[in-house]
Amino acid sequence: MTSQSPRTTAAPPRRKKRRDGWVALVFLSPLLVMYAIYFAYSIFFLGETSFQKVGIAMLRPVQVGFENYRLLFTDPVFAQSIINNLVFAAISIVAALSIAFFIAVALSTGVRGRKWFYLLFLLPALMPVSLVATIFGSMLQERFGILNETLRSIGLGALAQSWLTTPALAYTAVALIFCYLIGLPIMYYTADLSALPTSALEAALLDGAGTWRIMGSIIYPMMRGTHITVILALLLGSFRALEVVLFSTGGGPGTTTEIVGTYLYGYVNSTGKTIGYASAASIVVLIIALGISLVQMYLTRTRKADL
Amino acid sequence: MTTTEILPPRESTELITQVDARGRKRRRRRILEDNPMRMVITRGPDRVAIYALLIIMGVAFAFPLYAMVAKSLQGFGIQNYTSLFTEPIGGVSILSTYVNSFIIGVFHALLVVTVSTTAGYALSKLRFRGRELSFAAIILFLAVPGTALIVPVFHITQQFDMFNTHIGVALPEAALTIPFGVLLMRNYGRNIDDALMEAATLDGAGHFRAFWHVFLPLSRPVVVNLIVLCFIWSLQDFLWPSMLFTNPNLTTAAQAVASFSNVLGRSPEDFGRYNASLVLLAIPAVLFVLFGLRFIVNGLTAGSTKD
Repeated sequence: MTSQSPRTTAAPPRRKKRRDGWVALVFLSPLLVMYAIYFAYSIFFLGETSFQKVGIAMLRPVQVGFENYRLLFTDPVFAQSIINNLVFAAISIVAALSIAFFIAVALSTGVRGRKWFYLLFLLPALMPVSLVATIFGSMLQERFGILNETLRSIGLGALAQSWLTTPALAYTAVALIFCYLIGLPIMYYTADLSALPTSALEAALLDGAGTWRIMGSIIYPMMRGTHITVILALLLGSFRALEVVLFSTGGGPGTTTEIVGTYLYGYVNSTGKTIGYASAASIVVLIIALGISLVQMYLTRTRKADL
Repeated sequence: MTTTEILPPRESTELITQVDARGRKRRRRRILEDNPMRMVITRGPDRVAIYALLIIMGVAFAFPLYAMVAKSLQGFGIQNYTSLFTEPIGGVSILSTYVNSFIIGVFHALLVVTVSTTAGYALSKLRFRGRELSFAAIILFLAVPGTALIVPVFHITQQFDMFNTHIGVALPEAALTIPFGVLLMRNYGRNIDDALMEAATLDGAGHFRAFWHVFLPLSRPVVVNLIVLCFIWSLQDFLWPSMLFTNPNLTTAAQAVASFSNVLGRSPEDFGRYNASLVLLAIPAVLFVLFGLRFIVNGLTAGSTKD
């Protein structure tokens, strides 16, 4: 099959292809440098230290084999922080798929003052998270927190609680902060709503569908692609979250509200030879995060094929 | 840095109306008639219900902000604010925290834009073997949580002797933003007509000139959007400054929340001042929503909806 004629015609494009390969390498080189240092070397470094007993100064490491991993998998706090992470992600996903969706649709119908509404709903997501979590923390203080003060002033003093020291309430409080930060999903939905085919809305109107019907039965299913993006972005975002918990409850009371971010942060900042242990935990967290990434890539790929 | 992707609300049409001063009202009405989402509200009562729900949620969202502002006036009233500008808190002046966040943002944006545009060009406009695979490998790191990289980044910063430097914080921030930047630039680049590139090549331009004179100018909206996002994320980032800065002069806005609380949060008479400082630290976010959102909006609608 590979006689002379195809070879001669195929030669120029192939040569061009190879040349583009070198050009591509040049264009990709800044990226490769960053990736080599901050991802490849980092992961190699974590892998190496995860088998050691060593402090942050990296002096005199002692090889301990799988000891760090064994300790990690028997630590109930680590398991709890992963579960908490997933629970908080689930709560913020539910909030996004309902509240954020409603807000985005309602605001895109051209209500009055929607610029102010946008400011109000998006602002929390753009402020430093440390700030938002701190505000919640001080708002929920038992004695001088403004929530309890407000409750007392309107005669509902009986409802005043020690929000941050009761485990169930502290857990709820952290979940609420995650819900408060849904500005991002609102942006996603708003963007996708602008590309909504008008014909579907017109058809629904002709069929006599009301507002809630149009929202629930027409627009909601049409946003499937955005739902997937929102779900995955929030799932990944929750593993990146640190400040939400650190600045509101600090993981407490006890370890009730600990998440992966505060768990790792706490171990690195604690004194003693725990760096190897933190590395092992980081490796496990990285594996989970990369796994979610793979799922995301798979799902978004099938979504593109649908369209 | 909790966000992996941001898509915008579409308000560009309305923004155009605001630029034109003459005949503004009439124009706005016509655009609202063009807005198909108006069809969602079918009956008067539904409109009332939508407003009612929006206002209820708005009040819920505003409450923490109200709490912060109300507490900030406790004690000495507006003097809480003025004193913050005249005397630094624990050796940190509030204005310098903005400056530090801004400088880190500049480095962050520079790094991300350099790496993302070059890589985006290679992955969308150059043909080479393994292009899709390398894209997938790059995107895989979208999900990496910063907390999992604390140990190696600490070590790398030590090796490069970059503790207490702005660039030392901007580098890991950029590393975590780059996968998103590449995704954005590559998706945008795929929508740029190849014919434009070919025309440039026919005119004798090499890939570097095609990149510099065709690709970059065409992708300006999405680059501006990326820059805005880099600034927002630098403003929000608490993790890297807290790990890599020990010099109080370098405190960033997100970090200041913690350091101010150490100085002011303890005594009741300073509580008002502490909250006033929180309000001031939130100001950049307000400015971002008011002025920067437009760039995110324009950049991403241009980049995403054509897909």
